Amino acid sequence: MSSHPQNEHTSDDDGAVHAHVAPTKLYIGIFLALVAATVLTIGLSLVHLGTWNLAIAVVIATAKAALVVTFFMHLKDDNRFHALIFVGTLLFAGIFLAYTLNDTQHRGQVDRVNGSQMNDATGERAPGGLP
Amino acid sequence: MSTATTDAPTASLEEAQPDAAPQDHGGHGPKFLAHHFDTPVQQFDAAKLGMWLFLAQELLFFSGLFVLYSVYRSWYPADFSWASHQLNRFMGGANTIVLLFSSLTAALAVRSAQVGDRKKTGMLLLVTIACAFAFLVIKYFEYVHKFEAGLLPGDRFHPVAAHLAASTRDLPIPQHGGSFFGIYFMMTGVHGLHVIIGIGVMFWIWLRNQRGEFSEQFWTPVDLVALYWHLVDLIWIYLFPLLYLID
Repeated sequence: MSSHPQNEHTSDDDGAVHAHVAPTKLYIGIFLALVAATVLTIGLSLVHLGTWNLAIAVVIATAKAALVVTFFMHLKDDNRFHALIFVGTLLFAGIFLAYTLNDTQHRGQVDRVNGSQMNDATGERAPGGLP
Repeated sequence: MSTATTDAPTASLEEAQPDAAPQDHGGHGPKFLAHHFDTPVQQFDAAKLGMWLFLAQELLFFSGLFVLYSVYRSWYPADFSWASHQLNRFMGGANTIVLLFSSLTAALAVRSAQVGDRKKTGMLLLVTIACAFAFLVIKYFEYVHKFEAGLLPGDRFHPVAAHLAASTRDLPIPQHGGSFFGIYFMMTGVHGLHVIIGIGVMFWIWLRNQRGEFSEQFWTPVDLVALYWHLVDLIWIYLFPLLYLID
């Protein structure tokens, strides 16, 4: 693959692998940031913020995951196609999660005993539901 | 692409010497280059692509468990909160730090392999393996506590009051606590299985490193095993707050 970003350092296509060697300090800095984020997420979990607790925990975890993937797993300097595979996988996992929750979180409302109330609060009926 | 330039001479060489032994196949390139690849970079790209596809499969595999978790947590939020308080945040947090540190040493092992420092690569791989064992030891103590406290999956969920967290002792035992611990043991168990497999593979790569198979020109296996190990870390980064830190 001549478009390989790791080959940009050399003008001649000699067929050898040219690694992008990141400095040791960068790796240690990323590790320290990950530890700080872990301490932060434990600290924030002790504060009662209702539903925000989950959102904050997931955002921090995602930030940590992004650091690991970008620097430890070298996606920053890697073939862009690998990043596409990774992000594409997350996209499909997200579709899986969203469609499943859209089902499981609304089951009781669609078919309660023998009715078909869509929304208990408004009394709105399900499309095509029982009369 | 270098394919076109190297294919032609190889093909003509084979035609000229039909009796050549199979291991001489073109007689091209360094020892680490498999004969079905033209160049080291082609071999490297193929290996990396394969590894990323495997990691994608791993993520999709775990996504089933994360969806299961999400469905049950959305159904029984109070039960999940109660059950989460039974987990030891200190041990979970310690294991998070251990895994993050092992990810650092794995990344540094790849770096020293890239610059051809064989001794350092071996040492860093051993530190990573040691961290993996430390993770399992901490997990073992956590599991033992769950067994003693009766915090088990499904029908076997019979909590022993004396072993429960002080903050929850006065609360009623939740009806769906067994669902949480079913999910807890499945997610941490499958993750732990990945840790055990990681130990085995990293030990194999360590052996190959000590045998002198890797150099500045060839360190792909170290890179790939580190990618796998980072994925194990990545899964735990989500498991820790989702299981241990429910408000």
